[in-house]
Amino acid sequence: MSFGYLLNLAVNGAIEGSIIALGALALTLVFGIARFPNASAGDVITVGAYAGYGGQLASGGLMAAGVVSGMVGAAAISLAFYWFVFRKLAGRSAVYPLIASIGAAFLIRAAITFFLGHDQRVYDVPLTRAVALGPVRVVPTDLYLAAGALAALAVVFALLHMTPLGRRMRAVADNPDLARASGISARRVMTAMWLIAGAVSGLAGVLLGVKTVVMPEMGWDLLLPAFAATILGTIGNPVGAVVGGLLIGVAQELSTPFVGFTYKIGVGFLVLLLVLMVRPQGLFSGAERVR
Amino acid sequence: MTKFQIERRRLLIAGGAGALALAAGRVLPAQAAEDPFRIGALNPVTGAGGTYGPGMQKAILFAVDEINEAGGAAGRTLEVFAEDTQTTPDAAVTAVKKLIEVNKVQIVMGTWSSGITLAVMPITTEAGIPEMNTSGAPAISTEDKDDLVWRFQATNGRFGRAFAEIAEQRGFKRPATMAFNNASGVGNTEGFKDAWEAKGGEVVASVVYEPKRASYRSELQEVLAADPDVIVTGSYLPDTTIILREWYQSGHENKWIIPGWAANPKLVDALGPEVTQGVIAVESIANEKAPSYERFARMYKEATGNDASTNIYAAMTYDMAIVWALAMEAAGPGASVAEINAKIRDVANPGGKEVYSFEEGKAALKDGPIDYQGASSRLDFDEYGDVTPDFSEAVVQPDGSFKRVSVVKI
Repeated sequence: MSFGYLLNLAVNGAIEGSIIALGALALTLVFGIARFPNASAGDVITVGAYAGYGGQLASGGLMAAGVVSGMVGAAAISLAFYWFVFRKLAGRSAVYPLIASIGAAFLIRAAITFFLGHDQRVYDVPLTRAVALGPVRVVPTDLYLAAGALAALAVVFALLHMTPLGRRMRAVADNPDLARASGISARRVMTAMWLIAGAVSGLAGVLLGVKTVVMPEMGWDLLLPAFAATILGTIGNPVGAVVGGLLIGVAQELSTPFVGFTYKIGVGFLVLLLVLMVRPQGLFSGAERVR
Repeated sequence: MTKFQIERRRLLIAGGAGALALAAGRVLPAQAAEDPFRIGALNPVTGAGGTYGPGMQKAILFAVDEINEAGGAAGRTLEVFAEDTQTTPDAAVTAVKKLIEVNKVQIVMGTWSSGITLAVMPITTEAGIPEMNTSGAPAISTEDKDDLVWRFQATNGRFGRAFAEIAEQRGFKRPATMAFNNASGVGNTEGFKDAWEAKGGEVVASVVYEPKRASYRSELQEVLAADPDVIVTGSYLPDTTIILREWYQSGHENKWIIPGWAANPKLVDALGPEVTQGVIAVESIANEKAPSYERFARMYKEATGNDASTNIYAAMTYDMAIVWALAMEAAGPGASVAEINAKIRDVANPGGKEVYSFEEGKAALKDGPIDYQGASSRLDFDEYGDVTPDFSEAVVQPDGSFKRVSVVKI
């Protein structure tokens, strides 16, 4: 087992981790501001993948059109769920919106399989061969993927910390009553937050779809590691979500020479357990929190 | 027609039969010989198996029509009660319970996918009812302690043997395997490994992967590190699509032997001919040269409008009904389900006159033993109730089409 072999494993893990990270980023925004674990996030990602696929098809193969329609489609469904479901449950304990979000998840998946069936769909992306960078083999599409994840993180981070809207979002997250007393409209902030979370999910869906195949369960399958990454990186912290995703991805792949491929998923969760035993609040608590 | 009308019609028929019997001065026994034999058709009409299920169901229906038109089996007509497994084990379990408890079926036929068959089997066996399926998992053979389960599809182990046969013919020296972590996937590659090692070969690397991953690069890296000349898989379409794409991107040049349910035209659509050309697809094939297949294919086309070659499983479900009816005929009037079940090998395995239809078999049974040659395969059941069909070896051409290069008999 050479150093190069391990390095390649780490790179594979980082690529997979950056997809987990995008899902975690969408989760952590909702977690931090609306304050419940949104189980429908996975299926909003799926909607993004299908919308992106449809957009690329409609535009005659333009990947940029796929990215835009994926983000718009997922943002629209995300906002619709806020408007028709989660808004009505505001102020109740987190269990209510959590259960409602599980229902929303089933609703999306059932609708997709009903109208579009179970068949896999594939983005029209030219295949490229891997390039060797020293001992590491890198596929150019994977670099786009990682860049996409980082760009989404940068935009979300900038929105939260450098715009008035972001300040208002953080204020609502911190103390909704105080925010309202200061004249901040919680509804506007929530609308913005659900749109952003939806757009990030849509991007995650398109990137996951390009990397794999578009199927009705794809987002749901991503949900568990994404939740783990969210908790690992401290709930509500976007940087934490991305670092958490990368950590889980890399830890899983690096464990494979020792535990094999069947058990690597367990290792991801073992990392989560160990970190939480030392730091129950997650890795990034106190530093760069949304709330 | 509503359920009520069916019930009423059945009542009328029963009443009429009763009146006739009274007129003849006889009292009907509780289980009248005129009672139709009740068959449960349990197929994947919706869900992932929805491509095949409707055709499988129709094949049972027209097989039963054919049997009834030939005067029924052992003096009894056959009646079909159909349910949908939705291609999920829990829906299948609910459906099979309904078939047994409400419809009082005496045999269940047509389950597809190993997970569903494994879920349904304990219930049918408990009720003393035979179960006929089109699933591949090796576990089905060993779980069936009462010899009530009949498999019309090749086991994954036999698929593995076919893979080994092809790998040997093509002169591969360093095969590796990759399998989806379930009974079917691992069954394929273990079957290959056993057969290959029995030939004196060595498998250079084996990876069992967890499904639903965003990437299989590390798994591929492990396999490719052993420098294989061919990779044999036990996999499904979505994971195969992802693996082959990542393999192409890695720039390696080895060949692939992939089961036909994963290496099909949809795989070529997804990846293009440049990636997929040279992929060797192996699948079990129907008994294409037999008159029984010809007859089935004609009826299938009439019933569904589709070509019979698009649905290998329909030929299997057609054979299920025919074989069962022949076993009924061989067991004679008044035979119990267990007695009929015990006759299946007698009418299908070698040692009798070869026949190709129910009608022909029914006539020949009067003179001695028969050997039904099915539409789906020669239908020779081994000690586990499993058949051994032929396999086709097809290669993806540079234009993306599949070309059959040989038929493999194991």
